[in-house]
Amino acid sequence: MIVCVAVVGHQNNPLYLQSFTEADDALKLHHVVHCSLDVIGERVNNPKRNAPALNETFLGLLYPTENYKVYGYLTNTKVKFIMVTTDLDVKDADARNFFRKFHAAYVDAVSNPFHVPGKKIASRSFGARVSTIVKSFGSGTTA
Amino acid sequence: MIGVGKAKQYANVLDKPLSRGRQEVSLSAFAFLFSEMVQYNQTQVDNIAELERRLEDAGYAVGARVLELLCHREKGNKREIRLLHILGFIHSTVWKVLFGKGADSLEKGTEHEDEYMISEKELLVNRFISIPKDMGAFNCGAFVAGIVRGVLENAGFPAVVTAHFVPIEGQQRPRTTILIKFAEEVLQREARLG
Repeated sequence: MIVCVAVVGHQNNPLYLQSFTEADDALKLHHVVHCSLDVIGERVNNPKRNAPALNETFLGLLYPTENYKVYGYLTNTKVKFIMVTTDLDVKDADARNFFRKFHAAYVDAVSNPFHVPGKKIASRSFGARVSTIVKSFGSGTTA
Repeated sequence: MIGVGKAKQYANVLDKPLSRGRQEVSLSAFAFLFSEMVQYNQTQVDNIAELERRLEDAGYAVGARVLELLCHREKGNKREIRLLHILGFIHSTVWKVLFGKGADSLEKGTEHEDEYMISEKELLVNRFISIPKDMGAFNCGAFVAGIVRGVLENAGFPAVVTAHFVPIEGQQRPRTTILIKFAEEVLQREARLG
């Protein structure tokens, strides 16, 4: 179950932050997302020896906290997508698939000529598409 | 996506192919829109430098979005970190998506290390434009220079991009060259990456 998705700009400014559960404190999820930005910065600046190519976009599992797993994805313009989930077993292919659809929705939202780059994404249809993608992620892993 | 021909007219809508089509915009529609854009900006500014800057800013917005779109759609989400790769990407992929064909040539400047040039015999945006003599060296290709600057800056390669006319003997109309001058940090990073 995905509890939170976030889009963070290239200066680490938040562009979109949406949580999908009312139970947990939204602030705690924002804090988790914020901490994961550090991990991304680390991964980008010091690649591990057996790391994927420097120009790979899907960063994989960033770090597991008590009951969450955080996945990251970096686009060509240093815009980062963060996904927080409570699923215990998340297949790599599912996470990649999720980010691919999310990236498509993000590109469509940014192509809007009225969207100011660097400001928050205020498009309602983007929010609706993200909710659909998040819902379909859950059903994929319970198959 | 600016095409040269008009779409084939079908007598019956059922005969239209089911595929998405060639995704092209008619050249005349774009030329009209671009000429209106230049005229609108001309009424708002006092001098040529300001007009060029406005066209370039308009191009910058296009470039930023084109980069996001193309990286997702065409290149399978690979990030470019090498200078030559991003220049090759602009010179082939971006040009092909925007103008229907690759750019004519990509050259490295001889005087300075940080200068590169993309040349084109005739920029598509300039095809129906002729510059009056009293405007001097103004070039509406500033719009295309803005697009290139938008792509480079959002990919992490800050640069100053300008468009120039280069007269070639034997041809009536001069060639257009987009001159790209990279910032110092880009060259340092490139040297570090080896």
